Amino acid sequence: MSKRESRTGPPGSDRPDLRAEREAFVRSFLRKGVELTEELLKENQELQREYRKLEEENLRLRNQIASDGAIRDLLERIDRLEGERNNLMSRSNELEVSSRKHDARSRQVEQELNDLASLYVAAYQLSASLSPRKVIKQICELVEQLVGGERFALYLISADEGQALPLDSRGYEPGELAPMALADGPMADVVLTGTERVQDDPANRIEDVPLALVPLTVNGQTIAIIVLENLLPHKHAWASVDAELFRLLGTLGATALIAANLYSDAHTPGSALSTLKTKLDPKDAERAMDPAAADVGV
Amino acid sequence: MMRQLIVFALSRIKCIQVTEADDGIVGLRELNNSKFDLVISDINMPIMDGLKLVKRIRSDDRHKDVPVIIITTEGSNEDRERAMALGASAYITKPIQAPQVIEKVKELLGI
Repeated sequence: MSKRESRTGPPGSDRPDLRAEREAFVRSFLRKGVELTEELLKENQELQREYRKLEEENLRLRNQIASDGAIRDLLERIDRLEGERNNLMSRSNELEVSSRKHDARSRQVEQELNDLASLYVAAYQLSASLSPRKVIKQICELVEQLVGGERFALYLISADEGQALPLDSRGYEPGELAPMALADGPMADVVLTGTERVQDDPANRIEDVPLALVPLTVNGQTIAIIVLENLLPHKHAWASVDAELFRLLGTLGATALIAANLYSDAHTPGSALSTLKTKLDPKDAERAMDPAAADVGV
Repeated sequence: MMRQLIVFALSRIKCIQVTEADDGIVGLRELNNSKFDLVISDINMPIMDGLKLVKRIRSDDRHKDVPVIIITTEGSNEDRERAMALGASAYITKPIQAPQVIEKVKELLGI
């Protein structure tokens, strides 16, 4: 300072070099100030740009977060809906299975109902007449129309003579059937045992053996037999009700034949029942309860 | 017997009222006295058989559009063809099965 003072002298006595120096300094200072200001302005602008960029980034991130949340919500909703859809599909499958079961059961019930109708009609027809001729006709019609028999014969069994006597038939020429000796063979076996013999598969039958041999039995004794040779051409297999029809013919057919034959001797209902009362005394009732003691017995 | 089975089958269809006739003549008389939507007839009947009945029904303007089902025996093609030629609408072969009858009747009545 003292050196400068010594160079510049007292105030007010500025030398031109000093003034120039001062002016240069001031100019330099001002330039620096301008430069600094410009730098500051530039920096400020950059910071503002940076700030805007960050704000934009911030906004973008906020939007992304919001969008992620929406996606998360959507994914949750999709999961929930998929769960519901799976439940519905599973329920639908259950219902389909149940519906199929019901359909099958309904068809089965319908079939059983039809079978019962056939059996009812058969039983009704067998017991609807007391004329031996009509009973025989009914037996044949049942075999023809309900079983679908094309060629068959009904034989009366004469145990005394060991013979089967033809009563009626379908599909045979008149006089084609003659009395048959019951020596051996399937027919004799069925008459002896009273057990029907039916080929399982009519389409693949054993030739030379009747398709079905149905004994008409009372108290274990065979009184007649149906020999079924052929079914109608369009019937290739047994129906579910055929076995029951054979059993019904075997029991009701036999009693219907005996009842009709006994009634034809009596001529009137009154005379047919005239001896009924005497048959109801306890001794006869006891005898009737014991199958070994019973006769052919109606 | 067959009639009983057919009546049973028809009883399974709701809103159907059945009138039975013993033979073709009685059937024709019933047909002339009331209005029927469908006739089912066996081909074999006493007095007037099914074929004659179809012929008579078709020759009468009042009944010419009434559907007629013929029950044929033993799958006889000849009888079936004759019945159809005379104007039968359909046929059913024996042995009678209720579902077969129900199906044909529903088909012809459009129910």
